[in-house]
Amino acid sequence: MTVLSDIGHLLLTADLWHAALAAAVLLLLPALGGVISERSGVVNIAMEGMMLTGAFFAVAADLILHDPWLSALVAMVAGGLMALIHAVVSIRFRADQIVSGIAINIFATGITVFLINRFYGLQDVGHLPPSELLPNLQIPLLDQIPFLGRVLFQQNVIVYVALILLLLVHVLLFRTRLGLRIRAVGEHPEAADTAGINVYRLRYGAVISSGLLSGLSGAFLAIGISNTFVPNMTDGRGYIALAAMIFGKWTPFGAFIACLIFGLGQAIYDNNSIIHVSQYLLSMLPYILTLVVLAGVVGRSQPPAADGIPYAPGTE
Amino acid sequence: MVHSGLRVVTALAAAGALLSACGGTGSPGASASKTIKVGLVTDIGGLNDKSFNHLAYVGLQKAKSDFGVQGDVTESHSGDDYVPNLTNYASKKYDLVIGVGFLMQQAVGTVSGQFPSVHFAIIDGAGTDANGTDLKHSNVESLFFKEQDAGALVGVISGVLEKDGATPKKSHKIGAVGGVSIPPVNHYIAGYKWAAKMEDPSVKVFVGYSNNFTDPAKCAGVASSQISQGADVLFQVAGGCGLGVLQSAGQAHVYSIGVDADQKDADASVIASALKRVDVATYDAIKGVKDGTFQGGALTFSLQNDGVGYQADNLQLPSDVMTAVQDVSAKIKSGALTPPADIPDPTVP
Repeated sequence: MTVLSDIGHLLLTADLWHAALAAAVLLLLPALGGVISERSGVVNIAMEGMMLTGAFFAVAADLILHDPWLSALVAMVAGGLMALIHAVVSIRFRADQIVSGIAINIFATGITVFLINRFYGLQDVGHLPPSELLPNLQIPLLDQIPFLGRVLFQQNVIVYVALILLLLVHVLLFRTRLGLRIRAVGEHPEAADTAGINVYRLRYGAVISSGLLSGLSGAFLAIGISNTFVPNMTDGRGYIALAAMIFGKWTPFGAFIACLIFGLGQAIYDNNSIIHVSQYLLSMLPYILTLVVLAGVVGRSQPPAADGIPYAPGTE
Repeated sequence: MVHSGLRVVTALAAAGALLSACGGTGSPGASASKTIKVGLVTDIGGLNDKSFNHLAYVGLQKAKSDFGVQGDVTESHSGDDYVPNLTNYASKKYDLVIGVGFLMQQAVGTVSGQFPSVHFAIIDGAGTDANGTDLKHSNVESLFFKEQDAGALVGVISGVLEKDGATPKKSHKIGAVGGVSIPPVNHYIAGYKWAAKMEDPSVKVFVGYSNNFTDPAKCAGVASSQISQGADVLFQVAGGCGLGVLQSAGQAHVYSIGVDADQKDADASVIASALKRVDVATYDAIKGVKDGTFQGGALTFSLQNDGVGYQADNLQLPSDVMTAVQDVSAKIKSGALTPPADIPDPTVP
């Protein structure tokens, strides 16, 4: 029972929730990308690869430009280009979207390692000084609020950006004409096409957005939280984001709650030096939580009807 | 249309695999028939880990220039790559195939059984079956290190600094962040905790794991937790992931200790590094094949044969620290002190 009291004590500390929110945002950005892409009808499991590519180019750009903002932009473009490959393969050539996604993830691991060896040889990729990292931003006054100030208002700038994006994506998808069209294209592309909506263009845009968001998450990981690139440093976050998206029933806020649960699990796990239980059991925590919540609370998740089905006009 | 799509996908995957293969630095042009061919397969840490994969490569490079052997490298990107990467070199009749890291034990066990005429060496492990039992294939040389010796030396540094009140927070609390709880990692931590407590019996030693070797953010999380508990010297034993420990220590203005290679340049907070001379072991294994003295079985690299050690980094260590380190070092070499291989009192910090 000491374990539960250990975790109980932790849950009362602002530091834990601060760490949980940062960990959640790393997942939230690709998860939002996934929501947009899949709502338009293109299955996207390539967030992992896009994020890894973004992480690499963020570091590479920052080492040259000494400007974290421009580097984050470069990371987004890099992620977007990877997404463009996925878009071309799955929209234009109508290939299997799962296979294309896997290929992009493998490609991303390969190309990043290749580029490291090409440009840095066996030297360290290089470490960025704190002044060239995406900064932590203390919101004046609000950061003085007990507990909440630490959790919400002493975060990295990307955390605020992500929370704003969360709101924007929600509004875009469910409160705008463009969002309605994206969802229409993901549910019934033939009908949307008949109504004069350009299915291809919307799907391209949606998939590329997922790359931009995943790339930004890679930048946050590599030049916000860390200060260097390590091969495979994304460590499966793109896949966890995918799970969060499904868990959240393809909605931005649903995905955010899922990301928070995963992030909280990670933050609790980080304290395994002081929680007296097997670290392996502890590392299972977020996944056990997910299973329980998924089975008990969320119920059945229904993907968009045309998710994963290439659109070929006139074939039906 | 569908066909061309699949072609694009296949080409993409192939390009990825090819690029990562090119990532290694193959040396073509070894033509003489007597040239010894050595294939090195890294674990998932990759060649740029500034740690043991990198050091194995350094040893291979030295052997290439000293003996004119042909040396090729393949980096593994996931655990599933180990068997195919090892098999690739073995089936091409390389003279020596080296697997870098404990994580490759089972793969080396499997492949060495299939190619009894090829020599294998494995850093930090043996060729085992699925249960981790050493298969004792005569063509496998197991290169083990007494990491606890190196861990003990940096543990002495931390312990004496804490005893002297010479650490940033004077907290009598230190930490160690391991990658995964596996023997080579725990050996380091065991020596560290044992020696720190020997020098400063009041010191608390937090031991945590990131369950990861490649993601600095995960290690930074564990390090931050230990720092918030008051730890002011953090020892990283987690390869590329552990770079996050060094960075976190720097941000919090506490001390850190690097692992395997000299990590002085990774962060200003690095006061010392525990060294594991994987380069020496790799070089010796290649030399053994070249000289015909390859024996199979276990070779142990310790403080006694300079297989492990330590390096002072970004802090001028006080003279009593240096004296204590030299004293403990001499006693370990003479056998008067034996650092434990298992973490003492694992449930007590």
